[in-house]
Amino acid sequence: MNLARVGAVITKETRELLRDPITVWLCFLMPLVMLFLFGYAVTLDVENIRLGVLDQDRTPASRALAMRFTASHYFERVRDFPQAHAITESLQRGELTLVLVIPHGTQRRLARGETAPVQLLVDGSYAATSLLAAGYAEAIVRGFASAPAAAVEPAVRIWYNPSLRSVNYIVPGLFGVILMAFPPMLTALAIVREKESGTIQQIYASPLTPREFMLGKLLPYAGVAFGEMLMVVGLGYAWFRVPFAGNPVELFAVAGLYVLITVGIGLLVSALAKTQVAAMLIALTIALMPSFLFSGFLFPVFSMPLMMQMYARAFPTSYFIDFARGVVLKGVGVEVLWFNVVWLAAYTAAVFLLAAWLLKKRVA
Amino acid sequence: MGVRVLTGLLRKEFAQFFRDRIMMFVVLWLYTVEIVMCPLALTFDVRHSPLAVVDHDRTPASRALLRAYTATEAFDFVAALARDADAEAWLDRGDAGLVLIVPPGFQRALVRGEPARYQALIDGSNSNVAANVKAYVHGINARYLRGLAGGPPRPAAGLEPVTRVWYNPPLSSNMFMALSMIALAGMMVGTALPAASLVREKEQGTIEQLLVTPIRAWQLFLAKTLPPLCTCLLAIFPGVLLMAWLFDVPMRGSFGFFLLESAVFLLSAIALGVFIGVYVQTLQQALLLSFFGLFPILFLSGTVTPIESMPPFLQTLSLLSPLRYYMDILLGVFLKGAGWRELWPETLALAALAVGLYAGALAAFRRRYR
Repeated sequence: MNLARVGAVITKETRELLRDPITVWLCFLMPLVMLFLFGYAVTLDVENIRLGVLDQDRTPASRALAMRFTASHYFERVRDFPQAHAITESLQRGELTLVLVIPHGTQRRLARGETAPVQLLVDGSYAATSLLAAGYAEAIVRGFASAPAAAVEPAVRIWYNPSLRSVNYIVPGLFGVILMAFPPMLTALAIVREKESGTIQQIYASPLTPREFMLGKLLPYAGVAFGEMLMVVGLGYAWFRVPFAGNPVELFAVAGLYVLITVGIGLLVSALAKTQVAAMLIALTIALMPSFLFSGFLFPVFSMPLMMQMYARAFPTSYFIDFARGVVLKGVGVEVLWFNVVWLAAYTAAVFLLAAWLLKKRVA
Repeated sequence: MGVRVLTGLLRKEFAQFFRDRIMMFVVLWLYTVEIVMCPLALTFDVRHSPLAVVDHDRTPASRALLRAYTATEAFDFVAALARDADAEAWLDRGDAGLVLIVPPGFQRALVRGEPARYQALIDGSNSNVAANVKAYVHGINARYLRGLAGGPPRPAAGLEPVTRVWYNPPLSSNMFMALSMIALAGMMVGTALPAASLVREKEQGTIEQLLVTPIRAWQLFLAKTLPPLCTCLLAIFPGVLLMAWLFDVPMRGSFGFFLLESAVFLLSAIALGVFIGVYVQTLQQALLLSFFGLFPILFLSGTVTPIESMPPFLQTLSLLSPLRYYMDILLGVFLKGAGWRELWPETLALAALAVGLYAGALAAFRRRYR
């Protein structure tokens, strides 16, 4: 290992990167865009559910019930139906999520102390929203005329994130996703580009050893990745006010380990792909998609079927995200989450051994 | 004359396109494997969430309460803890998603008719899951109460909601997920491939050769458009078959109409790819842009989160996301049996996006190479 030669590769690679301002911009702009979109847009809590009302009763009671819906900030009354037949078309168009039908005689039944049925028609196509909408609507209808006292009452406490702000869980998870999005792709493209343009032959002919070449290619992108990470942590803390309960040094140390894995995956991809497009698509399928969808970043791992859980656990991101959330939200560290760190370390070793072996085979 | 030029160009494009085996493989992967995996795995439903219990009461009443929780699919009992302090450790490690703490005297309070309280501690680190767990806790508690009252609930005075869910009565998210994966695959492949193939001509300098031939700009764009369009339209078939077979996604509308709408959507995605391809200089830039342009488009489409709950400026931005319109079309055609009469606004919006992007790309191309 000759440090001067590694330095030369680093200089070349950094220069090449800096000469391409669009790429540098993208590297730092895209995590920002992701942070803001995820920070503002990811909430399943629905407000302003579009409500249609068909009031066949037309009495003070039926009007009061419809008022209850609009008084809760969950519903927004966007349409009143004079007749039932317009409802189908309106739901088909997707104008409404829920239609409340109050039949004739509702007030009369209530006055007599009978049970009065009220119909709720729900558009089930957006299942997550529909479930919550139906739940809210049923609660409003049930609570309208009766007030039974519950004898058993759960006192619900939500830990780590009492206000249920989604930014709090998104930001620590985003470290894991962003680091899986950029470094593998940039590293893979950096090497495959040399293959495509043929300059890799000059590298082979030079006195550079594979290890020096790898290291020189990896370090600049690892630096970029670390910069991105610092930016996301800083903005999450300063702009979105995500509480930082744990020790930042521990987070950055483990993040360093994780960055090594991500650039290592880039190396693996570069060994597989011959063209840049193929490299990107492979990086997409083995790095970004699993880390975005199967890491517990948005969707919890424990509710997946067992096979899918094993698939999810085969990628390193879920371990890192668990660790990051533990440090940021719960204020715990290596003493509790050592298992995740051990896994990540094992991954690093495995990825680099495999990449080194593949690269050596190529050169020889 | 123009026709001969065009067919020659098309033959070159198709040959170049189908030569890349890895690419074909990835396209198929997106349209089949992902469509199967994602609906199975990705859900905010609470299923088999680990439940730990601190039971200080140890009475039939407290055990019945715990049974009410473990009888559901939502929670799996993992541990009976001795002290309240243990709850913290289990939540910290993430080994428990919910911890119930039943205080001493729970049964006594119940028997006396006093309010009986117990604690439910929820791991809130994933707020969407926590919100659902909270809803489950209240629901299970209500069921437990009804059980206490004994027998079927008495008919009480008051309003009784009768809920009918249309189009997707089990309210499972499978169908929605499967349909959104079809849309997402089209978006990814549709944008990346034409962008890459245009920029490759620039990087290798073959664009200069194309310019000196009688090929016109629109013919070049058309030649870059057709191969990905045909590939995606073909790849939709296995995707739809898998969806119908595994997740019982119904086809209530017309299949021909669905293909037509898909073509319009793919055209808008490909137009975006062509636009990127004309603007950037290197393949790396093209790939990064088309790759990461996906995120805003995906997010503003309402696929991951409902559009209604976004802040107003994001709702306005979402009008620019082709995925948003295509999702409405897919849900309409497959689940609701909607057709042109209901979906013309979405179709027109997609067409307008496509035309706008092609026009922008054409203008930029002319400016640069004339």
